[in-house]
Order: sequence, then C-alpha cells, then structure tokens
Amino acid sequence: MLSISSEINRESSSMDREFRKKGNQRMMHFGNLDESHPYYMIAAARMSQKPETKPVTVGRIYWKFAAFNFIHKRIQETDGGFFENLGTLLAEKVRAQEQQEGPLPKRKDEKTEEEEEETEDDLSEEGTIEEPVEALLETDSDRDENEHATNFLAESMGWNIEELYAALVFMIQHQIGYDVSKECELETLLNYLQNAFKVDNDVHERVLDETRNMEPPEMHLNVEVIEAKELVSKDSNGKSDPFCALYLESAPTRRYNTAVKTFTLSPVWEEHFELDFDAAETVPEKMSKVKDVKGVRGLVKLAKEIAVTATTGSHDNEFIGRCRIPLKDIPTTGHTMWYSLEKKNKSKRRGVVKLRLAFSAEHNAQVAAQEYRHLIRVLLLHEIETQKIEKYCWCGRWSAPAEVLLLQHSAQRGLLARNVTLAQWIEYARIHQEHPLNFTVFNKLAIDLLRPMENGLFSPDETKLFWDATKKLLYSCLNSVRKIRRLPAGDKNAMTQLSAILGILSSISSLKVPADCNLFPAKMYSWFLDPDEAPSVLQALEYTVEQGGVEWFEHILNNNFPESESDEDALKHHIKVIQLIRADLQNAIDNYDKLFIKRINLPYARCLYMTYEKRISDMCMIITEDICGRLKRIEIENADVELNLGTTLFELYLALQRYAILGQVLCAEGQLEGMKVQSYHEWFRAGVAHWLDIAVYKALKRIDRAVEFDTLQAVDNSVQYSSSAVDTLTIFYQIKVFWTQLAWPDIEGSYTFIAKIIDDICKCSIAYADKMAKKAELTTDLEQLSESSVYEKKFVVSTAWCFAINNIDYIRTSIGPLANDLGLQNIVDALAESKTQEEAERCQQTLQLIIDNATDTVRNKIIELLQVVANKMAPAMNRYLMEGAELIDTTSNSMERLLQYLDSNLTTLHDYLNEDNFERILLVIWDTISESLFQLVHNNLERRRPPSFYSNLHRSLHTLIRYFNIGADEAANVRVLEKIEHLLELHGLETAELIHRYHQERIKEQNELDESEYGQITVKAQFVDNSLNIQILNARKLRPVDSNGSCDSYVKVKLLPEEKFADVKLPKTHVQKENLYPLFDEIFNIPLTNEQRNMENAIVVFELKDKDFLRSRFMAEAFLPFSEIAKTGSDQRIESLEQIHLMLSRTDVIQALEHRKGDNQATEFLSKLSSKAERK
Amino acid sequence: MSGNNSTTVGTLRGGNLQNRNSQRSTLLKVVILGDGGVGKSCLMNRFVSNHFDEHSFHTIGVEFLNKDIEINGEAYTLQIWDTAGQERFKTLRTPFYRGSDICLLTYAVDDRTSFKNLALWRSEFLYYADVQEGSTFPFIVVGNKMDVPDSEKQVSTEEAQAWCAENGDPPLVETSAKDATNVEAAFGAAVAAWAQLEARLERPLVEDTVDLSKQQSPHRSSCCMPVSGAE
Ligand SMILES: Nc1nc2c(ncn2[C@@H]2O[C@H](COP(=O)(O)OP(=O)(O)OP(=O)(O)O)[C@@H](O)[C@H]2O)c(=O)[nH]1
Ligand SMILES: [Mg+2]
Repeated sequence: MLSISSEINRESSSMDREFRKKGNQRMMHFGNLDESHPYYMIAAARMSQKPETKPVTVGRIYWKFAAFNFIHKRIQETDGGFFENLGTLLAEKVRAQEQQEGPLPKRKDEKTEEEEEETEDDLSEEGTIEEPVEALLETDSDRDENEHATNFLAESMGWNIEELYAALVFMIQHQIGYDVSKECELETLLNYLQNAFKVDNDVHERVLDETRNMEPPEMHLNVEVIEAKELVSKDSNGKSDPFCALYLESAPTRRYNTAVKTFTLSPVWEEHFELDFDAAETVPEKMSKVKDVKGVRGLVKLAKEIAVTATTGSHDNEFIGRCRIPLKDIPTTGHTMWYSLEKKNKSKRRGVVKLRLAFSAEHNAQVAAQEYRHLIRVLLLHEIETQKIEKYCWCGRWSAPAEVLLLQHSAQRGLLARNVTLAQWIEYARIHQEHPLNFTVFNKLAIDLLRPMENGLFSPDETKLFWDATKKLLYSCLNSVRKIRRLPAGDKNAMTQLSAILGILSSISSLKVPADCNLFPAKMYSWFLDPDEAPSVLQALEYTVEQGGVEWFEHILNNNFPESESDEDALKHHIKVIQLIRADLQNAIDNYDKLFIKRINLPYARCLYMTYEKRISDMCMIITEDICGRLKRIEIENADVELNLGTTLFELYLALQRYAILGQVLCAEGQLEGMKVQSYHEWFRAGVAHWLDIAVYKALKRIDRAVEFDTLQAVDNSVQYSSSAVDTLTIFYQIKVFWTQLAWPDIEGSYTFIAKIIDDICKCSIAYADKMAKKAELTTDLEQLSESSVYEKKFVVSTAWCFAINNIDYIRTSIGPLANDLGLQNIVDALAESKTQEEAERCQQTLQLIIDNATDTVRNKIIELLQVVANKMAPAMNRYLMEGAELIDTTSNSMERLLQYLDSNLTTLHDYLNEDNFERILLVIWDTISESLFQLVHNNLERRRPPSFYSNLHRSLHTLIRYFNIGADEAANVRVLEKIEHLLELHGLETAELIHRYHQERIKEQNELDESEYGQITVKAQFVDNSLNIQILNARKLRPVDSNGSCDSYVKVKLLPEEKFADVKLPKTHVQKENLYPLFDEIFNIPLTNEQRNMENAIVVFELKDKDFLRSRFMAEAFLPFSEIAKTGSDQRIESLEQIHLMLSRTDVIQALEHRKGDNQATEFLSKLSSKAERK
Repeated sequence: MSGNNSTTVGTLRGGNLQNRNSQRSTLLKVVILGDGGVGKSCLMNRFVSNHFDEHSFHTIGVEFLNKDIEINGEAYTLQIWDTAGQERFKTLRTPFYRGSDICLLTYAVDDRTSFKNLALWRSEFLYYADVQEGSTFPFIVVGNKMDVPDSEKQVSTEEAQAWCAENGDPPLVETSAKDATNVEAAFGAAVAAWAQLEARLERPLVEDTVDLSKQQSPHRSSCCMPVSGAE
C-alpha cells in the first residue's frame, strides 16, 4: 500500500522485533495485531524516537537561512530594508567605523613589556632633523606682538659690535694651547668671522693690524673637576669619602683641594679652579713653556679621606689614584675628558675622573659671558642665513669655523660649562622666537641647566636671564602642544621634537619659579581661564592640551555643517562630529598618550577625552532628546504616512556608545561618575521604544509579503519548510541583531525592552500562523480545483498544507532560542546582582511566561490548523465508513477504500510534515475518525439497523485501531476508544448472544464495584447434586425509595438465561418493612435438571424490590454465576458455607435492545426487564 | 499559567468527543496602571495566586501573569500586564499599552495624589494604546487599600464616583489586596465591561489587510483556546 513502509522496514529491521514486543505489550487489549500492516512499522519507528531530540535539531538550524538574507529580496524592498538597516547593515557600518577608529587602548596595567620597550627605543633616540617638519613650520600667527623682536639682527649688531669683533680677532691671533684646528686655518677663521659680522674689508684690515701688535693676554689654566666614577672602595662599608687634589708638577706644594664627598664611589664635584703659572714669568715665557717644555705636567691626585677620630680629630688620607696630564695636550679650545686613575705597582683599575681643562686669558667673567652670548647670536644668525637652515631644524650643529670660534672664545675667556650652557639657552631661545630651532637642542640644555639652577650656582642676573628666556621658550613649547594636530601623525621627527618639548617642560617644571617671575602672562595665554592664577608648568600644559581640544572641536564645527535643516541631516552632522573627535582621540592614543605619560606624567588622551566629552554630551543630548521627544506614537490608522525612523538616530547612539566605552577605558572609576556621556542611552529611551513599535508594524507587513510570495515549497532539500518561514525568521533575526547592537547598558531597561520584543515576536508569530493557514487553504483550493472533475469530490491533503504547518512550527520552535539569544540569562543575572534575587526571579518569571505564552499560543494555532485538515478529511472518511457499514456483504471493499484514502493522505503528511507534526496530526485524524464513528453509531441507534451494520463498523474500528496503532501512544484516548468498541460490539451481536452478553457485562461491572450506592446483599449458595440451595441472609445500606426515607424490601431469585429456566419455580423472600438493613435469613432449594445444572453461563440473579401498596418497584440487582457456586455433598449444611457479599447495581443503558423494535426476542427481553418493575 | 497552556493540547484531544467546540476561552489583554505603590502588583498577585506580600518591591518595567476565569458562563484567559508606576519607567511601560482590551486605573484610597493622577493615567493610556474610541474603551477604576482605617482615607467613595461619572463612567470597584476584598470582583467587572462593549460594537474584523485592527487586539480573532482542566 505504501512505499514508505518498506523503507522504514529496512531501516529499522534490526530493532524491529524489539518494537513489536513493546507494541504488543501495550496493545494487548485490542486483540491480535496485524503486524504486517505498514502503519505498524511507522508507529514502531515513532515510538523509538525520543521526543526531546526534535527541538534541538530545529534550534540548531534555526539561523541557517535567516542569518543570510531574505529569500525574497522583494520583501525587504517593500519597506526599504527597514530591518536590515538597523540590523545587519548598521552592524556592518559600525564595524567599518570601529575599524577606522582603531582598537581601544589597553588599560595601563594591561600593557606588555614589549610595548614598553618599544616606546623606549623610539624616543630615546636623539633625532637629527634634516627635513623640515611642516606642521611646526606654521608660523604662529597669533603670537603675542609684544614679544615680537622686529629688528633682531640690527639690534644685536648695534651693541659694541666692533669691540666684540676686535676682541675675537685678537683671540684668534693669540691662541693659547696647542692648535687643534688643523683643518681650520687662521685665515679661514678670520674670513668666517668677517662674514658673520658683516664687516667690510677696510674695517677688517684695520682691526687685524691693531690687534696683531697688542700684547698677548695673561694666562691661566682653568680646571674644572666635574666628577669621578668607578672608584675603588676604601671603606669597610664598600664606599669611600673621596676628594680631589690638583697641582702643577712645577709647583707641587701648591695644591688645590676639592670638597670631600661622603659615602660614594661616584662623586660629583663640579668645582672650578684657576691654576696660575709662576707669577714672575711673563706671558710669553709661560706661553713658550707650555708650547715647548715637554717635562711640565699637570697632575691630579685623588685621595680619600678616611676616618676622623673622635678623640684627636686628626685626618688620615688614603690614596686612591692619580693621573698626569701633559699641558701640551690641552687644545686652544680646551676640552673635557675622562682620565683614568693609576697607582704605582697596581695594575687594577682604580676609577676615572672627568675634567675640563682650558687655558684662558685674563678676563672679566661677566663681560666674557655677554661677549659669548653675542657671539652665539651673531654666528647662529649667520649660520641660518648662509646654510639655509629651515625652521625647527637646527639642532645644535655648527659649521666647523663657528664651532672653533665658540670653543676658543669660551675657553680663552675662561667660561664655565654652565655659563656656556646658559648663554646658549638664552640666545637660542631668543632666536627661536623668530626662527624656531629644533626643540631637542633646548631639551639637552635644559637637562644640563637643571643642576646649576637647582644649586643656585647662577648669579641673580643670570637667573633672571634664564627665566626670561624660559618664558619665551615655554610659550613656543605650549603652543606647539596646542597645535599638535598639525604634526604629521606618527612622523618620527615630529615625535622626537614633541618628546623634546615634553622633556623641556618636565625639566622646567622641576624648578622653583621665582616669585617675581610670571611664567605665563595672561595676555599671552588667553586660554587660561583664571588670569590671576599662576599655574604650574604642568597645569599650564594641561590647560593647553584642553585648549587644543577645544580649538579642534571648534574647528570641526566650523568646517562641517548639516546639509539641511532636517533631523536626519542634523543627526548625520552630529555623527560626523563624533567621528572626527573620535579620530582625533585615536590619534592621541596611538601617537601621543604614552609619550605624555612617560615624559611628564600627563594622561593626555584622558585629558582630551574629558574636554570633548562635555561638548559632545551637551551637543548630542539636546538633539537626541529633542528628536526622541518629538516622536509621536504610531497611529495605525494612517500608518502609511512616513513611518521611517531611520538608522541615523541609532548610528548616533552607537557612536556615543563607543565614545562612552572609550571613556571607561581611559578614565578612572571616579571620573566616570559625573560624565554625562556615560548615560547616553537615557536620551534614546523613547527612540528605542518607538523603534520597537514601528518594528512590529513593519514586521507584520513583511510577514504579509513573505506569505504572499511563498509558493509553499521546500527552501532546499534538507528542510521541510518554505520561504516565508525563513523570511519571517529573518525579520526576527534582524530585530535580534538590532538589540544586540544596542547593547543597552541599563539593566532595568534591557529587561523591559526584551519583554516587549518577545511579546512582539509572539504577536508576529501568531499573525504569521493565521496568514499561513489562509494561504494553505487558498493554495490547496486552487490545486484541487483542477482535479475536481474526478467522479467523487474528496479532500486530498496537499503538500501546501504540510509546509504551512511546518512553517508555523519552525517559527514556533525558534521563539525559545531567539529569546535566549536576546541575552535573557545575562539580564536576569545582572538584575540579581544590582537588585535583589527575588526581583530578578520575578523578572525571569515574567520573561519565561511571555515566552511560554508565545510558544503555546502558536502551538495551539498549529493544532487548530491540523484540526482544519482533519475536518476536511472527515466527510470522505464518513462516507466510507457509512458505505462499509451499510453493506451486508462483508467482502465489500469500502474499508479498503477508506484505508487507501487515509494512506494517500498520510503518505503526503508523513513525507512532508516534520515528525512532531506528523505525530500530532495522526492523533487529530484519529480523533476525527473516531468521532465520525461514534456519531455514526449514535445516529443509527435511532434507526433500525441489522446487527451486521454494527459488526461491520466494529470490524472497521479494529482495522483503524491497528492502522493508527492507537494504544501504542499513551496520550491516545483509550477510554473513548473502549467505549466505542464496546458499543459496536454490543450492537453487532445476535440478540440472544447480546442479551447474554448484557448480563455478562453486568457481572463484570458488579465485580468491579468496590462500593455501591445501591448497597449490597449477603447470600450463601451451594449445589447439592442437581439442587441449587440458596440462603438469603441480609441486605445492607439500601437506598431509600419511600417518602419516609426507608424501604420495604424483599428479594426475588431469578435464573438466567431465562428461556432455559422457564420451567423453574423461582422463590422470593418476605418483605422486611422500613429497614435499609433488612434481615431475611431464608433458605430456598431449587431443583434443576441436569442440563440446567451444567449450563456454563447460567447466572443466579437476586432482584431487590420495594413493596409498595399497589406494586413492587425494582431497586437493584446482584448476580452470581453458576461457576462461582460451591458444589458440596449433601452432608455439608448451607449454614457452614462462606458468606457471599454481592454488590447491588442497576443499569439504565438498555438502549441497544430497546432500539431493536423488530426483534421479538429483544422486545420480550425488554418487556420483561421493564416488568421487573411492574410485575407483582 | 504556562502549565495551563501546555495542557490545552491534551485537553483538545481528550475532551474532543464530548465537547469539542463548547469550551474555548477568549484571550484578553489587561493592563494595570496607577501611581507607584498603590498596590497594582499586589492586586495582580492576589487575583492570580491569592497571595499578598506586605513588603513588595516596586515593579521593574512590567510584570506579566496569566489567569483563567469564567464570567457569566464564558471562559476567559486574562493576560495581565502589571506596569511600573514610577515616573522613571514611563518610556519603558508605554509600549505595552497597545493591543490592550481592558485597562485598570488604580489609585490608593489613602493616597490622594494617586487619585488625582487618574486622569493622567487615563490619557497616557489612550495616547499610547492608540485607542480609537477612547470614550468607550473598557476602563475600570480601582480604589485599593480599602482596609486602611477610616482616619487614613483620603479619597471618599462619593468623590471617586463623581470622578468616574465625569470620565466616561467606568465602573468603580473599591478593593483591598491585603484582605482580598473585591479583588476578583474588580477583574470580573472589567471583563464584564469588556464583554458588554464587545457585544455592543460587534466590530467586524478585517482579516486580509495588514493587521490594522489586529494591532488593536492581536489575539482576539484567532485565539480562542480551549480551557484546561478537563483531564
Ligand atoms: N494596607 C494595604 N496595603 C497594600 C494593599 N495593596 C498593596 N499594599 C501595600 O502597598 C505597597 C505597594 O504595593 P505594590 O503592589 O508593590 O505597588 P505597585 O502599585 O505595584 O507599585 P509600582 O510597582 O511601583 O508601580 C506594598 O507595601 C503593599 O504591601 C492593600 O490593599 N492594603
Ligand atoms: Mg508593582
């Protein structure tokens, strides 16, 4: 009959027997099974299935299609891709944006060693800057005019320039020390000098002449003992208390001692000594000595002072080491060098000492320094001019002649290192005003100046000069920071300069600013909010960083405008601004943050972030709340007017979200509190609610389309649902993506929104189910219209129906997983944390209820639909059943046709429905067919039907039972089935048999009673030979029948089947008046024939009757089959037997017989039955 | 609740032969509105699970429960949405109004402000539920906490009645969730009011256009479900 049966047979053959056995056990009460019937196999296969496995599979393939796209593009076109815009498309946009923004910075503690080192590398490298850095080259147009030195060169030249020139020419001509400048001939130097000073030839010649004849200057040897290191230790504690003594070997007794540095092996002295040659000698003599006498040596001796004894206070010096320096080795420009210390007979290293050595002429220190500064100025300007040095590029490298000149000057004027440095600082800073130099120059100088500044080694005048220069330089530094955005991002030179700037600031910030010095004059720093405040360098830097942010923000606003007045464009504009800001922050994070933190410990990015945050928040809060506030709730009536809440609002949301998250990474816990942007979502609340509202509406529309386009054919071979199911799920999927995107941070809101989303999905699912049902009906009608010419119209299940049902189920089973995907559990967990466990549980309960409600409602829909299918099959089934029953001839094939009909339909259902639904519809069809049967029987009870009518139906029932394998399934309605079966059996019997069957049933009923409302009767009975002896003892708990609440009862004995005992005189007891517990205690002997005595199915009936004035009334009866009566010998007295308690009962269902009006036997039986009541 | 629904399938099968079509229940969406703390949640819990919590928490957003009842021989399944009365939840609760069949406007008799706010609640509901025939929508006014001593009462029955008379004449029920006074009656009155209105309107359902009307009442046309409990 069915092709499917053989397949299943093959597949399950190994388990075959097992199932049969199980099936047999369960279906025992339906008699023998036709195990070869195909549906038995299907049933067996079904039984083997674990019910739980199904939802899991569906869950797994749940997004299989939805994750991609709509099967029908047309569907998404109908609403302009409403869901995609906010779902996956928005997600994609955001991903792109995130990529652009770059990853979030790691928190400080997350940084890896490697990164740390890399930074180190990058910045410790001294940048030599050859190329101009465009950004820094920008002239500071807004520089304070007061600081503008207009005629810079002229001013510097105005000062006794000629005097300086002469002094320098003299110096060149009277070099002291050996001449290092082999490459720099005297001539070259003079030429250079002439050019630098822009002196014409006449003047030059004159000066040359004048100076040539002048006396050479007085000579000194200037020694600066700077520091020593790696000294051998002389104390038990591993340290020493070293000091240094120096003398000329020509005068070994004249010693110069440094201070004692205690407890160190690397002392820093920085002490300066002027060693005079023999005062008696003339300068030329001295000069010649230095130049010619090889034996004259300078000497440095390093001794260690050991203990000072408390009692004597006397010193005991211990020698560490010494070095000897030939004077002829000292160049005219002087030099600074490390010298090794030695000790006689000791080869071990004893340490090194750093000395600066230079010959100098007689001088006035103050004048010399001034000269030197002017020299720097003249030479540097000259260098810049002639070498075409770009702005921000000069990093301290002089041309050879300039270098010699400067060195000679500083050496021969006896300038100390710190004087030189200070002079550079002052002059460089001055020139920097006009022609910015590379900041690295200043950084090095600043470091060198720190110690003398800290130790107050400069005179008040020098100090003042230092701070004045510093003030100028700071402005340039801060201004560069302020305009940091002009730096090419990531450019190494720029970074080196920035690093230098920060280094300078850091150095300066460590110095104490004199009270009378206002480093940051309000007129220059317009962006400092409080003009009276004297901020620290660090504060100033912070203000400046902020100002840079503010200016950048304004710059962005000034260069970006919304395209129109519309909300949409306003939103787009805001997004753009945030993106630009975000880009700036990213740049700050990627390029500058680490540097700022490392150099000067300023959290640059955070500082900027907070600056922007205020502005972004203010700006976005206003527009968002405004737009959300103007959102009108949707009026369904005129819903077709523009209902589009574009993605833009949510793009803004997400932009802000990312901004807020960035803040959580950048800022410390406490700082987040007051930050408005951290509650960005609050501004959007109404917007989200609104979107969800629109979403339902749009979703319903889409579902309409999806169903409309659905042809009810499988999407592909592996699945049993069609396009609209996928399309509908895609909508849900997009809603889910939207929600995931939102990542709504407020937990209470999340909970509520999710409740709403799930409820909405439920609504959509139900709407879908409705649409699907209609669609299926329509499709089927169309299909079957073409086939309707067949001789008899009957409903044929179409695949359309199957797909419709599967579709709905597919949607239904995805509700649960979908809800979970929305993050239910996380939300409940978070609620438990932020609120109480109890509240969390209530929320969970609510969500669960909504989900259950949704799935249950949809399931009911499915069952409704199945019912519709079954109902459509009902007429055909009815007809076949009817035909089968009418035919006397049992060889008729109508049952065959019924099964064929069922077969063809069930094959379709089995092939196309998923298993759950097939299972369901089997039951529904069974319900329907069994109801048909019941109705058929019931309706025909009214008419005269031959027993064969019922027995035919009875046979049909059995076939159907086997067919559906009812009973194998616990859920099947066995009781109803039994009832029908009983009824059919009853009505299909020949009358005599029927009557007897009636009594058999009665006995069975009686035996099943535990208690009876009619009471019970106690008797004894025995067979002695062919005599039946009965003792009627009593009756109990009788039902009152009289108005007095009691009864007047007696018992009548009858024997069944009646016709067999017609000749027997039947006894009855006396009447016991007004007693519900009558005591009869009467014995009767009833003689029987042998045949009667041995009748297998004979029964004794005890009829309990109520004796009224006029007639007796039947109350109840009890049955005692002959088979249960003891056979004893005549010696056994009846009194000695066991009492038999019989339940009294009565039946009103004697309908079966009543309806057989044409049957004499039946009529008689009935009249006898009724006369039970009437006969006296 | 969920159990109730899940058994309906079995019921449908089992109860089939006797009364296949007789016992179906109508699904109604009920929302409870009113100021925070007037006892909305308590009313719902009393009604659904006959339980009262002296120290109940403020509702977060919404709460949801199901309850089957029979009124005038008709079976109904009430889907009750209990909303959060606190102002901060306004945007969260309003989306749930749409599609409601019945609205309970609740105040507490010992809280005059909550009574004063009834009008606001009513208009908030009408606005967000997008109800077309506002004047005929089945509202029920519920004055809760009737158990408080008379000295603490701030709203008299007469006053409440007067308000009702001026506002579309909804039924007024004075209840106490605490001692279970009139709670069933309140919900019963609500359903009765709905049924009465429904009978009067007999609104036709447009089935084949987009659910303009279904939005109004998403489940009604399709959600007759068998009542459980036959098994
Ligand atoms: N005396 C008395 N107190 C009640 C009654 N009903 C509720 N309460 C108390 O009122 C308080 C608030 O009750 P809830 O049901 O939580 O109030 P609500 O209206 O749900 O409040 P929100 O959820 O914030 O909107 C609780 O402490 C209850 O114990 C009542 O009938 N009589
Ligand atoms: Mg509440």
